[in-house]
Amino acid sequence: MSSLLRGEEMCLAQLFLQSGSAYDCISELGELGLVEFRDLNPSVTAFQRKHVNEIKKCEEMERILGYLLREVKKADISLPERDVNPVAPLPKHVMAIMEQLQRLEVELGEVTRNKEKLQRNLLELTEYTHMLRITRKFVQRTAEVSVSLYMFSCLVKIEAFERMLWRVCKGYTILSYAEVEEYLENPDTGEPTKCVVFLISYWGDQIGQKVKKICDCYHCHVYPYPSSNEERNDVVEGLRTRIQDLHTVLNRTEDYLRQVLIKASESVYTWVIQVKKMKAIYYILNLCSFDVTNKCLIAEVWCPVNDIPTLRRALEEGSRKSGATVPSFVNRIPTSDTPPTLIKTNKFTSGFQNIVDAYGVGSYREVNPAPFTIITFPFLFAVMFGDLGHGVIMAVFAAWMVLCENNRKLKNTRNEIWNTFFEGRYIILMMGLFSIYTGLIYNDCFSKSLNIFGSGWSVKAMGWTKEQWENNRFLTLDPNVTGVFKGPYPLGIDPIWNLASNRLTFLNSYKMKMSVILGIIHMSFGVILSTYNYLHFRKKYNLYLVFLPELLFLLCLFGYLVFMILYKWLAFSAKDSRHAPSILIHFINMFLMQGDGLQPLYPGQTGLQIFLVVIAVLSVPVLLLGKPVYLYWLHNGSHRLGLYRGYERVRRNSEEELYLMRAHDMEEGSSHSDLSSSGENPTEELLHQAIHTIEYCLGCVSNTASYLRLWALSLAHAQLSEVLWAMVMRVGLRMDSTLGVLFLVPVFGLFAVLTVSILLVMEGLSAFLHALRLHWVEFQNKFYGGTGVKFCPFAFSLLPSSFEHDGLL
Amino acid sequence: APGFSSEKQLTFNVDHGYLEGLVRGMKAGILTSTDYHNLAQCDTLEDMKLHLQSTDYGKLLSSSEEDLTVSLVDSKLRANLVTEFSCLRSNALPPLSTFLDYITYSYMIDNVVMLITGALKQRDVAELLPRCHPLGAFDQMAAVGIARTPTELYSAILVDTPLAPFFQDAVSESNLDEMEAEILRNKLYKAYIESFHSFCKNIGGVTADIMCPVLEFEADRRTFIITVNSFGTELSGADKSALYPSCGKLYPEGLRLLAKAEDHEQVKAVANCYPEYKLIFDDPEPGADFKTLEDRFFEQEVKLNMLAFLQQFHFGVFYSYVKLKEQESRNIVWIAECVTQRQKSKIHNYIPIFPGTH
Repeated sequence: MSSLLRGEEMCLAQLFLQSGSAYDCISELGELGLVEFRDLNPSVTAFQRKHVNEIKKCEEMERILGYLLREVKKADISLPERDVNPVAPLPKHVMAIMEQLQRLEVELGEVTRNKEKLQRNLLELTEYTHMLRITRKFVQRTAEVSVSLYMFSCLVKIEAFERMLWRVCKGYTILSYAEVEEYLENPDTGEPTKCVVFLISYWGDQIGQKVKKICDCYHCHVYPYPSSNEERNDVVEGLRTRIQDLHTVLNRTEDYLRQVLIKASESVYTWVIQVKKMKAIYYILNLCSFDVTNKCLIAEVWCPVNDIPTLRRALEEGSRKSGATVPSFVNRIPTSDTPPTLIKTNKFTSGFQNIVDAYGVGSYREVNPAPFTIITFPFLFAVMFGDLGHGVIMAVFAAWMVLCENNRKLKNTRNEIWNTFFEGRYIILMMGLFSIYTGLIYNDCFSKSLNIFGSGWSVKAMGWTKEQWENNRFLTLDPNVTGVFKGPYPLGIDPIWNLASNRLTFLNSYKMKMSVILGIIHMSFGVILSTYNYLHFRKKYNLYLVFLPELLFLLCLFGYLVFMILYKWLAFSAKDSRHAPSILIHFINMFLMQGDGLQPLYPGQTGLQIFLVVIAVLSVPVLLLGKPVYLYWLHNGSHRLGLYRGYERVRRNSEEELYLMRAHDMEEGSSHSDLSSSGENPTEELLHQAIHTIEYCLGCVSNTASYLRLWALSLAHAQLSEVLWAMVMRVGLRMDSTLGVLFLVPVFGLFAVLTVSILLVMEGLSAFLHALRLHWVEFQNKFYGGTGVKFCPFAFSLLPSSFEHDGLL
Repeated sequence: APGFSSEKQLTFNVDHGYLEGLVRGMKAGILTSTDYHNLAQCDTLEDMKLHLQSTDYGKLLSSSEEDLTVSLVDSKLRANLVTEFSCLRSNALPPLSTFLDYITYSYMIDNVVMLITGALKQRDVAELLPRCHPLGAFDQMAAVGIARTPTELYSAILVDTPLAPFFQDAVSESNLDEMEAEILRNKLYKAYIESFHSFCKNIGGVTADIMCPVLEFEADRRTFIITVNSFGTELSGADKSALYPSCGKLYPEGLRLLAKAEDHEQVKAVANCYPEYKLIFDDPEPGADFKTLEDRFFEQEVKLNMLAFLQQFHFGVFYSYVKLKEQESRNIVWIAECVTQRQKSKIHNYIPIFPGTH
């Protein structure tokens, strides 16, 4: 729990890796994903680093793998199951993989080239047969004029071709053409294209040259023209047999190609993982630096303090595997750098942590709002989404996702919208459950009320006569008449309100006050959480100079408002409800310090109110000036501290001592460095504090008002669902013939669709967004800095694969 | 009128906002001085590939099986630019689409002249086509070699292409030889740049404010280069002034003087009258690296093109992006050449783009 509240404690550690076992050690660390490596050679460019050749080799293998995967995909062969997680291959085994891959590439390349050649050949022969068949008609017409004949066939922009032919040859040609009915496959793009067959008759050699050039320009294929009918028949016959032969050869080639690909597809996934891991290891090795003797590598890592034993064990394991005689070891080193933030999460908390991280990753060891968000976020959502029925649907949907979370199909889908829902399944589940709860409190289920315990109101006790029933459209239940009001409903709102015409007035007042109460509690909680930060970072003065005035300001003004709301609820019953005062007037009068004309709520009200306002007003200058003045005083009046710092500077040479001192520093928190930075510039500190003060004091007013969105959205949701019921469902229920039953089916369908699409999805998203805002802005700005850097461990499982990105895996 | 142009700015984003955003994003990927610094430290092309992987080029160079050569780098970079450009072009609406087409016409002109000279040297079309710039590719390209005279070229082959309007002054019955091809190029280019200039002027607004200076500079650069290259040829003053684009800042007085210029000093005297060109023809400061005239013009062009990104709601960014990216390709190829030929001393002669950015 403490790690979820504050994040892990991190330390900077040096790894001394023996050059023989470095590869295995890093491979071991990559499997575990414990540490984040720092670049120790930032000034060295990528291609000047030590292991650049190995990385190039990996890239070459990746290229071949990409080629293999593309071919496998083209051949529509499915890859085998991907449960394998092979370790990174040893450097000595790499050559074997490389050779295998290269052999495969050469083989595949040859077969593919062969296949393409055969296909091209086949295409040519097919074109030729088509041409001979079609041009038979042309010849009969043009036989008399032709001096020499050539035939061409291909796809072509025939109008443009004809025009250019005419222009260049000045009309000394005759062109006849016809379209081929079948679509032939274009060898370059593989798409079926429409082709044209044509016949050009021309006079003279010179024109012949030009015609040939134009045909080249339009990528026409030229075929010899058989001079006689017998020759033509021979050619056709010959073509037919050759096409048949080609088909058999082509089929054989394709079979062979498929076999090669199937063989390759069996191990291609293993290779992809292996190469990915290997490349990552060399990349990390490039971040390390060499020690003077050149016998061991030095790496600097950020590591959670708690995981150091695991880290040690991993290094031992790596050394053992490589059979190194000298072990690799870890050494913690002191640092003044701020470590990255690591908050360990599980599948339940990760969604909530993501909500917080989306605002900003917490500063190192700062209070993390996520554990509180787990409860407050679904609760505030549910306040706006309060409907039992909708909550049940949402909870059931989320529960289904939770139960099927190990289903591969659901997990690995590429649909981004679906993934968003799936990642947030626990959030949705919590939101659904809380909506069921608030729905019960509001007594709202698809805009209808449930009468579980029996209403506390009795109509009979009013003793209305038949005349009164008939003549009045509205009748008022009077709780003061004995027997009419038997006591409050045990859980939530009494169902009788669902029938009342003043239901909205009643609920509005209730929900508005509830929103203010929840808001003030939420914000005060945020302010109180800031004390955890002050205490942890050893800034006790902030407790008195920042936290206390802040809390006093909030509670004296708005806390008192909450008190008045509760007091009014408790002090006034149905009997004296006519004398119940308006809280708003009292609250305004509190600031104006008048109100002599009003009946006080309770004895001593005026005095208490003046006292509270004075305290609130006084806390503003304390908040504004307290911290900067204190820091200024501390800086100018404490020479001892300066002496201590001087001592540190003098003894910098001795590293061990420095480490001890730094450790001492760290135990005391970062107060020294904070003092030195802020004390040196009092005006800047004053400016910051002034901005903070203004923001906080104005924020208290605007943030409280902002919580009224809880009321507004809850109202909107209830009204919308009521409208849907009245406009759709009631229409279907009104028909009382047998036909009405049939009519009810489509009406219910429409009702269901609209309920899900508008009330659940759209309203749900909007309530989600507003809950998000209330957390990010109103809650977190009271204590959360969110200026940290996320810890990104070196882990093979987190590495993206470029093949996945290209959709090849 | 200012009112008109501001109204255009208001509605600019409706049609072209997406593409402007896109091109500005792509501009952010242009290599910085740190990148060049790192590239210049490379010892092999493999090193360069490794470094380019960390830039926006990503896996561009590593995806091929063949061994890296400078020409492969060049063609990959070119293909990359073409991919980006065709993405812009296929999403463009008029008048931006016309504007983008105008950018490609200059490449078409170069391709036509290249194919003609190639045909004169009896080269095979199949060998020439891959060397054409893909931005200037068009259907009838392969048939260019058939033509014997500019008139034939126009009436038989290019009449259907967008280049046809630029042939107005270029048609002649003289046989195409190398000199004639060069003259044809310059005549076409003159017509092209004048047409582009007036097109930008008609668009008005910020586009005209940005593009006109760029195109005027381009016109004047060609004028200077034609003049310098004509020394020692039989081109007369009248011939030359027929080739000078008339939309530049040199028009009309500077062009008249340049047509008469006989040597470098006279050209310099003309340039001295124009502050923006005086700098280019100035003698290099002692101690500074010697730079060719061409490089100095490139440097000035990069400066002008960078200015385009300071304003919004105009088409100039598209032109400037293509030109800057081209310059970047030239830089990378230059560094790659130096790396392969072990000419480390000359490696810093590239022209940095956005020198201040990191």
